[in-house]
Amino acid sequence: MRRALGVVAALALLGGVTYALVPDDGPDPRKTVTVTGLIGSEKRAFFESPEVKAELAKQGLEVHSDSTGSWTMSEQAKSNSGLDFAFPASTAPAREIQRNWGQQDSPLVPFYSPLVVVAHAPVAQVLKDNKLAAQDADSGVWTFRMDEYVNVLRANRRWQDLTNAEGHGDLAGPIYVTTTDPESSSSGALYVALLSYVLNNHQVVSDDAGVEAARPVLHQATAMQGGQKSSSDEPFRDFQAGVGNPLLFGYESQVASLTAQGQSAGDTVVMYPDTTVYSDHTIIARTENGRKLAALLQDDDALRTLEARFGFRPQARPGAFAELVKGSRQPAFAQDLNAARVKQSPVPSLDNLLKLTAAAKGSPK
Amino acid sequence: MNHPIKSRSWLIAALAAVLAAATACTSSPAPAPQPNPTGSLAETARPGVLRVLAGSELQDLQPVLDDARKATGVTVQLAFTGTLDGADTVSSGRADGKYDAVWFPSNQYLRLDPTGRSKVLSETPVMVSPVAVGVRSSVLADLGWGDGSKVTWAQIGDAAAAGKLSYGMSDPSRSNSGFSTLVAVASAFSGAGAALSEADVQKATPQLKQFFTGQKLTSGSSGWLAQAYTRAEPGRVGALVNYESVLLSMNRTLPPEQRLTVVRPVDGVVSADYPLSLLSSSGPGERESFQRLAAYLLKQDVQQRISELTLRRPVTAGAAPAAGLPTDRRRELPFPGTRAVADGLLGSYQNELRRPSRTVYVLDTSGSMEGARLSSLKTALGRLTGTDDTRGVRRFRDREEVTLISFASQVKWTKTHVVPPSGGTPGPEAELASINADVQSLRAEGGTALYDSLEQAYRVIEGQQKAANDDRFTSIVLMTDGESNEGATDGDFRSFHDALSPAEKAIPVFPIKFGEAAVGQLQGIADVSGGKLFDGGGSLDGVFEEIRGYQ
Repeated sequence: MRRALGVVAALALLGGVTYALVPDDGPDPRKTVTVTGLIGSEKRAFFESPEVKAELAKQGLEVHSDSTGSWTMSEQAKSNSGLDFAFPASTAPAREIQRNWGQQDSPLVPFYSPLVVVAHAPVAQVLKDNKLAAQDADSGVWTFRMDEYVNVLRANRRWQDLTNAEGHGDLAGPIYVTTTDPESSSSGALYVALLSYVLNNHQVVSDDAGVEAARPVLHQATAMQGGQKSSSDEPFRDFQAGVGNPLLFGYESQVASLTAQGQSAGDTVVMYPDTTVYSDHTIIARTENGRKLAALLQDDDALRTLEARFGFRPQARPGAFAELVKGSRQPAFAQDLNAARVKQSPVPSLDNLLKLTAAAKGSPK
Repeated sequence: MNHPIKSRSWLIAALAAVLAAATACTSSPAPAPQPNPTGSLAETARPGVLRVLAGSELQDLQPVLDDARKATGVTVQLAFTGTLDGADTVSSGRADGKYDAVWFPSNQYLRLDPTGRSKVLSETPVMVSPVAVGVRSSVLADLGWGDGSKVTWAQIGDAAAAGKLSYGMSDPSRSNSGFSTLVAVASAFSGAGAALSEADVQKATPQLKQFFTGQKLTSGSSGWLAQAYTRAEPGRVGALVNYESVLLSMNRTLPPEQRLTVVRPVDGVVSADYPLSLLSSSGPGERESFQRLAAYLLKQDVQQRISELTLRRPVTAGAAPAAGLPTDRRRELPFPGTRAVADGLLGSYQNELRRPSRTVYVLDTSGSMEGARLSSLKTALGRLTGTDDTRGVRRFRDREEVTLISFASQVKWTKTHVVPPSGGTPGPEAELASINADVQSLRAEGGTALYDSLEQAYRVIEGQQKAANDDRFTSIVLMTDGESNEGATDGDFRSFHDALSPAEKAIPVFPIKFGEAAVGQLQGIADVSGGKLFDGGGSLDGVFEEIRGYQ
């Protein structure tokens, strides 16, 4: 399975920046060194966790992080010479950073997470009643029907047009999925990639004709959202506070981390688009300390367990994620994405993705 | 190979530079942010200190910030400003190096500007509150709105148009609660399910005009709005538009007959999510402090405490909203996706949709104003006649009636202008230039008959109202650099004010302290009239613009 193909994603978008203090070069080998790097906002909770910090400290590393949904990541990587590593949410920015740093090798992808549509249970039920979503009777896993959704966008259908939508205060106006700004955040760009694939008859958009064909729906699906947030953390927090659009595009890990840590996700439903994109968390090491961190994230078993605890799917131990969420029905997670018949769409080349994003944002051709 | 990312970043950087240059050319100094009364702001970055430019309502979070200091070692120093003024401060680069973070009710307006967006490195929503309408219980009953849980914006607009509902709302060109309200009603009235377009605003214009006939109070800050509501005569103001959290918090201290039922219109609301936002210009130490503070504020128990203390909604899973916060959901109306639509909407509000204003300036041109002071006055007031004002934040508005009174030992002259609407002939430009000509003609000479001249302003307004028989936002600005030393006294003015009609008593006076002005006299005038005292500082820069929010 070459999932890496799936996320040749997002521009210089990724979620965040970790900076750090100057690496400590003291002679004492047991002294903790501080590792400087860039990360995405979706990994902030992981790096801030006391358990993760303790496990890394055991190995002599300390990572400090802040987060952003910044398209400036590769610029930051270029201008900041104090970095030990960069850790974007997809491979395209990873490639760009590698180029800036003059690297050719294949970077590690310690873990990944599929992109999902998040909704409250009554909303998911309305979608199901209208054949826009389905729930597997045995596993309880929800899927979101992308072809139907594209039809909804094309027809500009409103919630009022659906059966059983009355009586829900939040279900009025046009039906659409909220995303982050595709020009500043990976998940927003991955939505554009996914939508373009479905619009293009389940073929990856590979030329200008494909971009033009997708332009009207991409632009509509973006313009109708109005102001978009700049990182995936923000709309998800609004969702948890009970405000915002009923349908939200986000990372599976955002909800899975709650379940895996034994917290309630309330009535949150995770719907896997029947065709979706994956977020490949790719770490590029620049120094010895950076390489040490990358290797630990990939190979250290305690860290893999913690990765799963934060909702990610560790590449080298797929069972770790399934283990933590298998008992959960509310929300239900797909332990095996293939078994749940979640197809993975490839992401367009960087050039074409840029064109698609510009089309979505209504930028001139 | 051509690197798309690189070329794109270049493009954005170039655009940012152009916009920054444009902003630098056209914008006047925004009102100076008000420092936290409980502590001053460090001039330079300091370890363990986070300097934050914030919305004024965040004062209610002080107990949590005190605990945060104990738990994290991070001291938060707050300076306060309006959300849209704050966005200008960030976009223009004036926040760089002065603040480490910003914390406004929303970053939506800031984010619509590419330069502003690039100045923010990281943001985390901390709490949520929808903008709602607080309706006095007796009014709610008269309108037959039951418990208020089924009311639409259209019903509110109809009640306003029928003269059955009057309300206070803060200035949308400055404050996020006013702006959010404007976005919500424009969305609701245009039937635009999705984000607003210019055509939607056009379509909604007739209904919006009706809605805004009900606006009786305007304000540059939500704090003053709440005070003005409390002191207004019963029956004059029946509702307040503000954050749900502010309305519910007011109920904790309001007498029973003034308490507000919170109406979240069923056709949709706009919510504030208070993103704590790290500026790109901050240093490594401050970023570290920011992370510690953000992590602390998002802890489940802290979120619970924030909700109970402030009546805003928590953003962390597992933290329950405070008792009394309704849990049924409302549709969230999308925010405009471009600055052009947002500023166009604001411009329409100021120049077309809102009730017009009657604005009187009582200007001290005594001998002590000679020189630098008079030229400061001419510059600051003249700026309000410039047309380079994209969102209607400072210039005299279309349809506004502006009266200038120049006084010293007595009133020297009184001149009145009405700014014509845009689109006709003549447009507003000629009249604005004529106001500026009057401003530039001011001469300094004579003593300071402060109270006599102020009383004269009331008589002028009386005459104007009688002649026009119209319904305008009416207010007086009183600028002086000295102490009243001729004519009527403080006591005389109080008796004069006592004898005014209820409508005239409701006219707020906004005194500006300049030079050696007698603060006691000016504060007294503000208190008696229900106005607010402003500090003109050394140059009057920004203060006339700030007062525009109250006119």
